[in-house]
Amino acid sequence: MASSDWLDIVGWTESMTSWSMDNVHDVMPSEDIDLQVTIPSTWAWPDPITVGPIFNLQDGFASIQPALEAFMHAMIMCTVVFGMMMTTMLVIPYIERKFIGRLMDRLGATTTLRSLWVGESGVTGGEWWNKLPFGVGGPIGWTIGALNKTWGNSHELETVSRVNNRSYHGYWFLLPGFFQAFADFFKFATKEHIVPRDADKVVFEVAPVIILSTTVMVFAFVPFGPHIYAANPELSLIFMMAIFGVAPLGVFFAGWASNNKYTLIGGMRSAAQLTAYEIPLLITVLGVAVLSGSFNIIEIVDFQIGTDEGNVWNIFMMPLGALLFLITMIAEVERIPFDMPEAEAELVEGWWTEYGGIRWGLMFAAEYMRSYAACILFALFFLGGWEAPFQDTLADLPWVGGITEFGLSLIPGVGWVLLKAWALFAVFVWIRASLHRVRTDQILEFGWRYLLPLSLVHLVMTIAIRILLWDGGPWNLLIPIAITAVSGGIFVILAIDEDKDALEIQRRPYSTQAVVKASPGSHRD
Amino acid sequence: MGYRANTGHPHATPNFRNLVIRPMWMTLKTALRTVPFLGRLGFLRNDYHGKSASMVDPATRERVGVDHPTLWQKFAADRETSEIMPFLERPVTVMYPYERLEDLEPWLFVPGNYNGRIGIIWETCTACKACVRACPNDCLHMTSEVRVNVLDTAEEGDEWHGYGSELEEGGYAARKKDDFEDIGEGFDLVNSHSDAPQQYDFGEIIELSGDKATVRWSDGTGVETIHSSSLTPAEQDIVSGQIDIGRCMFCGLCAEACPFESFFMTNEYDGMSGFTRQDLWFDASRTRVLPAVHQERVDMELAKRAEKELKKRERKAAKAAEA
Repeated sequence: MASSDWLDIVGWTESMTSWSMDNVHDVMPSEDIDLQVTIPSTWAWPDPITVGPIFNLQDGFASIQPALEAFMHAMIMCTVVFGMMMTTMLVIPYIERKFIGRLMDRLGATTTLRSLWVGESGVTGGEWWNKLPFGVGGPIGWTIGALNKTWGNSHELETVSRVNNRSYHGYWFLLPGFFQAFADFFKFATKEHIVPRDADKVVFEVAPVIILSTTVMVFAFVPFGPHIYAANPELSLIFMMAIFGVAPLGVFFAGWASNNKYTLIGGMRSAAQLTAYEIPLLITVLGVAVLSGSFNIIEIVDFQIGTDEGNVWNIFMMPLGALLFLITMIAEVERIPFDMPEAEAELVEGWWTEYGGIRWGLMFAAEYMRSYAACILFALFFLGGWEAPFQDTLADLPWVGGITEFGLSLIPGVGWVLLKAWALFAVFVWIRASLHRVRTDQILEFGWRYLLPLSLVHLVMTIAIRILLWDGGPWNLLIPIAITAVSGGIFVILAIDEDKDALEIQRRPYSTQAVVKASPGSHRD
Repeated sequence: MGYRANTGHPHATPNFRNLVIRPMWMTLKTALRTVPFLGRLGFLRNDYHGKSASMVDPATRERVGVDHPTLWQKFAADRETSEIMPFLERPVTVMYPYERLEDLEPWLFVPGNYNGRIGIIWETCTACKACVRACPNDCLHMTSEVRVNVLDTAEEGDEWHGYGSELEEGGYAARKKDDFEDIGEGFDLVNSHSDAPQQYDFGEIIELSGDKATVRWSDGTGVETIHSSSLTPAEQDIVSGQIDIGRCMFCGLCAEACPFESFFMTNEYDGMSGFTRQDLWFDASRTRVLPAVHQERVDMELAKRAEKELKKRERKAAKAAEA
């Protein structure tokens, strides 16, 4: 629940700014000053400004104090949110790096590191501890021996093990790689900045700025928790989606300005794809807003978790919407399987081709920031934002309810948002590791012919649910259960779609393909 | 989308299940297998067709005893990473031909349009040699002979009349040479070192009209219109068909050139290796397409023949009615 979160950064900042501004007010001289000062007119103020003849500094400060407080508060919150975004962002490439290795069975070559402390097949890098004086090396030797015995590489099948034991096993694989992002940053920051000779130089330089700045601005409206946000206007959802939609323009600029066939094709593909997926995305988000009855992201979350409001996570109310949001967001952030604009195999990274150095690094970071924003938005729109899963149900349990509620109240809401976002990013990575890149025409066909009608269906359904089924209080639990069950059933039906003809063919030992003679139109049946 | 791919494998059909669900389940399995304790679960393992199989033969098992680490392995030796965490299986090398990739990782099927070993339906081959002419590497070799099929000949009025072959346009015909009976008289089979003399002049029938037949003689003497009663139906038969698979580059031009749909590139990749170059000379028997595969083609051919036979009988009946 929004109000019960103890991590009230917005409130603390408000108290702090008003306290400090009050102090500034109090240290101002309180007596009247008999002085007239006239500031002559300039282009900025056509009339000259006159202060005095008698004025009071304290009163004058009091008149601008609210504005100063608001400005200071906004500055602090922007810094906090940006810092929080940048630090928690580190997890995103880390998840990608770690999880994709597991998914794709590429566990990484870290034999060397690991051999330093456990050795290979019982042979460590020299028993150096025995050379230490006074036998202080003894415990080190025992420790290393124990490590070797429990977690060392096995002695059986020695050669095989030596060749294959290349990874940290079990939990240990989590250790290395977390700070890779810093190393990457320094690498990119020290690289040369090259602008191609024939590039449109101004646009070439401006494009990364557009992409990066709009991407960072998205986070201004994305709350990390009920009390952690930089700005919370009434229509924050619309602001956020509008800014989210600016970056594709920068992508197109980049593709055009580089004056390179790969970048141009990539930029064109990007423009086509993002246009095709922006529309179903917005319609899907509109469905979310309709169901929750608000264009404010915080209110959308509150509707899902408030006991006096909907009190059911949106994913159970509109699984179709969640699926559409996921697919369109993957396309919007240009990740596999929709990474046609930067298809590295055919387009040499597409619209990124001509960028290098820190510009490339920042655009790469922007790419991940957009993925991250997409994950957080999914968590906020569909997964109940800062609520623990089934929090109210757990709190109502007969025996352990009280202690559970207390335990959950200790966890700040931002923790749940981040956990959900990271888990969702793991899904992004899972999809990336599993699916093929989709052809351009298939992407567009899928977007226009399937996603757009489906998103309209989703919108109509949410309107119907909101108008017909909502009585102003918490949802009747039968409704989300029925919706989820039906959607799951449809999914299972689609998933078990077995091709009988192909099974028939498979009874043959091998396949002889009937050769279609080359003639105009013969490639279609 | 109205698109049906003849992929030859149920895992290759481009549907939701095969394009999304299966790959995502496979990668998830691979990832979960590396989680301690959870990874032990049986359903996460990749087995031989869902069965566990030991790589150790019974005699070795007898010799090393039940406790030998080799016996704990379900896969070839390099699949397992350690004794402590044997569930960390890492399929690295497929021990072909003892293991096959399709068996271990069935989602990696051989595509139906893969150009593999050449397969020929010899039953429907007409020895036109279009494939031999199309082959850019000269790896196809075919010897054929035009001959009178003595088993097919039937005289008007005899018991088997109506079942033999007939003269037809585009087919071969033979005319007895003048000295038909005596032509083999002076031939010294032992010492001449040459082909046996032909008793027939062979030619291709260009046109049949009434009793007249227009024939282009194969010996180059030109086109001639003669009475068809002096002609005997002949046919081109395959004497040998060989492929030097060592020269083949699997371009598939031969399969494309075949006008009778008898020549195929199968998607098989095995059975094309040997210890000598001579091993790579495939006789007709090694290129035969299995009946299970070409049944449709054979059925088509049988239907065509039945139709032809029916027409022939109708014609015969009409002729008899005229007479």
